[in-house]
Amino acid sequence: MSTRYGMVIDLDRCTGCGACMVACAAENNVPAIPQATARTGLTPMLVRKVSNGVEGGARREAFIPIMCMHCEHETPCVSVCPQQAVEVDKATGIVMQMPQRCLGCRYCMTACPYHARYFNWWDPSWPAGMEKSLNPGVAVRMRGVVEKCNMCHARLHSAEEKAAAAGKREIDPADYVPACVEACPTAAIRFGDLADQHDPVFREAHSADTFRLLSLLGTEPKIYYQSKEAWVRALADPDSGAHLEVEHG
Amino acid sequence: MKLTRRDLLVWSAGATAGLIVTPVPWKLLDDVSIWTQNWKWIPQPTRGPVEVKQSFCTLCPKGCGMRVRMAAGWPVGVSGVSSNPINRGALCPLGFGAHQLNWHPQRLRAVRHRATTSSWGEARAAFAKASGEGPIVIVDGQPGRAASSVFQAFVQKRGGSYRVVPGAENQALAPYENWSGVPASTLGYDLENAQTMVSFGAPLLDGWVTPGRFTRLWAERAAGMAEPQLRLIQVESPLSRTAARAWRWVPVPDGAEAALAAGLARVLLDERLVPAHGPVPSLTLADAAAQTGLGINAIQDLARTIVSRPPVVAIANDQNPAIAALNVVLGAVGVRGGIVTRSRHTLSAQSVQAVRAAPSHVSYVSTGADIISARAVLIDSTVPWDFTPPTDAEVFHFAAWDGGSSKVDWLLPAPGFLEELTDVPTAPASAIDTYAVAPALAKAPPEGQGAAQFLVGIDPHLIPAEKIIHTRCEGLFRERVGTVHGQEATPVTTLASVQQLEERLWEGAVWVNDPPRSGDFRCELSEWPKTAGPVPPVNRLPTWLAPVLPPLASKLYQESGLRESPEGENGRKA
Repeated sequence: MSTRYGMVIDLDRCTGCGACMVACAAENNVPAIPQATARTGLTPMLVRKVSNGVEGGARREAFIPIMCMHCEHETPCVSVCPQQAVEVDKATGIVMQMPQRCLGCRYCMTACPYHARYFNWWDPSWPAGMEKSLNPGVAVRMRGVVEKCNMCHARLHSAEEKAAAAGKREIDPADYVPACVEACPTAAIRFGDLADQHDPVFREAHSADTFRLLSLLGTEPKIYYQSKEAWVRALADPDSGAHLEVEHG
Repeated sequence: MKLTRRDLLVWSAGATAGLIVTPVPWKLLDDVSIWTQNWKWIPQPTRGPVEVKQSFCTLCPKGCGMRVRMAAGWPVGVSGVSSNPINRGALCPLGFGAHQLNWHPQRLRAVRHRATTSSWGEARAAFAKASGEGPIVIVDGQPGRAASSVFQAFVQKRGGSYRVVPGAENQALAPYENWSGVPASTLGYDLENAQTMVSFGAPLLDGWVTPGRFTRLWAERAAGMAEPQLRLIQVESPLSRTAARAWRWVPVPDGAEAALAAGLARVLLDERLVPAHGPVPSLTLADAAAQTGLGINAIQDLARTIVSRPPVVAIANDQNPAIAALNVVLGAVGVRGGIVTRSRHTLSAQSVQAVRAAPSHVSYVSTGADIISARAVLIDSTVPWDFTPPTDAEVFHFAAWDGGSSKVDWLLPAPGFLEELTDVPTAPASAIDTYAVAPALAKAPPEGQGAAQFLVGIDPHLIPAEKIIHTRCEGLFRERVGTVHGQEATPVTTLASVQQLEERLWEGAVWVNDPPRSGDFRCELSEWPKTAGPVPPVNRLPTWLAPVLPPLASKLYQESGLRESPEGENGRKA
């Protein structure tokens, strides 16, 4: 069976430091547009703060990194794209966005139940000289296209090139680690092959404390979350009646 | 043969239909798509040979090991080094965008004298004149570096003082220095062996000590466990990032930390929960309960919980002596899992100079009156921008980025991120001695100059920092102690020459001393300290020398709402 890359994010370990966000943006040449706001900016990885809604000493807070969930089944963005600019890679399970094909209609943004897609409202620009600090492995996307997390596909390409140069068909898993996974100071984000029963991520994805966001939609997202705290798990359960308080700037 | 209009139409339709089954239109479409991604005004990444080098972050005193991806000689990506025993592969969020800082719009590009552009020659002449007229003070933010030795040598020759701006971690250790005589700069927390930590407002999960050192430890031994191996109890007024993830959050009003420490000490002594015989606080338990709003039973329960899983250590975020006194009562001073002194007897004086802030007591800015009467004050670029010297002297401030201070006479452009060779002494509050070298990886702009280089330009008889680093490596090699951690750990005793040691250090390895011995540091306290320390300002960012954040970090913080106003509208720290 082909590889199915996915992540398990341990919310009990996430301190909301934002290292994953910065590392993701630096890896993928996301421009720091001054006029961008929380609604119009590009945040392929976005850490949200949630609480149990209680005030005082009983208040609890947690941080939830949100990115493209890489839905496996009836992927909403794929089915609505008129340009075939989005597809689920059969070999890896990664939901790929091809900016060259994108015409910017934003149907995919409307269809995405996780609000994990972002539109490029401005031409990418950096302060004078800062383009020298851009990652040469990732092309800069222009204004008018949609973008999102692609699990640092450039790193997968590098790993494949390295394997090919060594005469191997399979990559070394250590060579392909997305930037957010590498950056997390508490190792809260784990990455691996969900189709491999021997992969630790497979086992974690099927543990009792693990859940997925909006799982009732049946899109089989490949991003799993994990928490031992019941109020955090209840956030993903619409029948629990849990109060979700999302803070956003 | 006559060509009719019908023939033309048939031919055109046939050609069109035929063209579709050729690759031409699809190739053309593909190329157009690519062309429209590459307008000349769209910035493109640098093309050129890609290589990976290892170095150390010098943006704060914690000295995290980092892997720097270079393209055509420019840093294009930064990540942590998992084999580095200091930060264990972690970096702070600001470090991941640090390679952008050298291009920040607020980068200083010229010498400025008050509001006008000046030159290095004029700045050098003004400083030489001022230092000839009266005493000078040099303020350092990262003591122990080779550049720090240049500063000290200069003030010794010219007459003046060398002062240090202490970080929050060292400030919290200052009371132990007052009581034991052991310099705070040689003290540290043995976090790795503690079972219970009571933090009084210290942002343990948000930039406290070296990133990775505590966060990795916490993730492995505490996170998500109902009964963790490491209990983190956070005493703090707001539900901070650390409090949100702590095993237990104890909310007390700002300024009531000393009262809670006194209350806990009283319960520990009254109920004989600790073997140590420390001083009894004058504050009654009822008074402590009233000030903290916790209730007597809650304080008693907290005290019993704390000691139920030793070793225990209390961690302060400022110079609050009551929290230090609580550690004395807990018996957490000079023992495994508590406050320890690094192995100070195993190194010669010269090597101690290399790996620590100073062989003797560091003179902090706050303790020196000489800065007020100085003729000139030179502030190194390692001093946080918001430091304002209490003086009327002429101030020469080295900085890589303009923070907009109006109280500085001379603003001198310093090398930016990884643009200057420097050495990295032991991180604040570390339990073990370390030493590393951060070579200059990025191309430095010609107008930048470090403070040590500036002083060597004034007094050519001073030994330059590069030579001092070489001398320090020779000293460490002669000691024959410790291990060099690079791709693999190599004991110094197995190295054949000092050149081998230097090569390893220049390639990004770090020298780590042997673990300290416990029991060689004692703290006697005859009476409970009467006054509590000042309430520290709430700082939700890691220690950061630059007045600006990497553009990516400021953008993402703004858009995620993760940080509370990290920057003002003009891009400077609020």
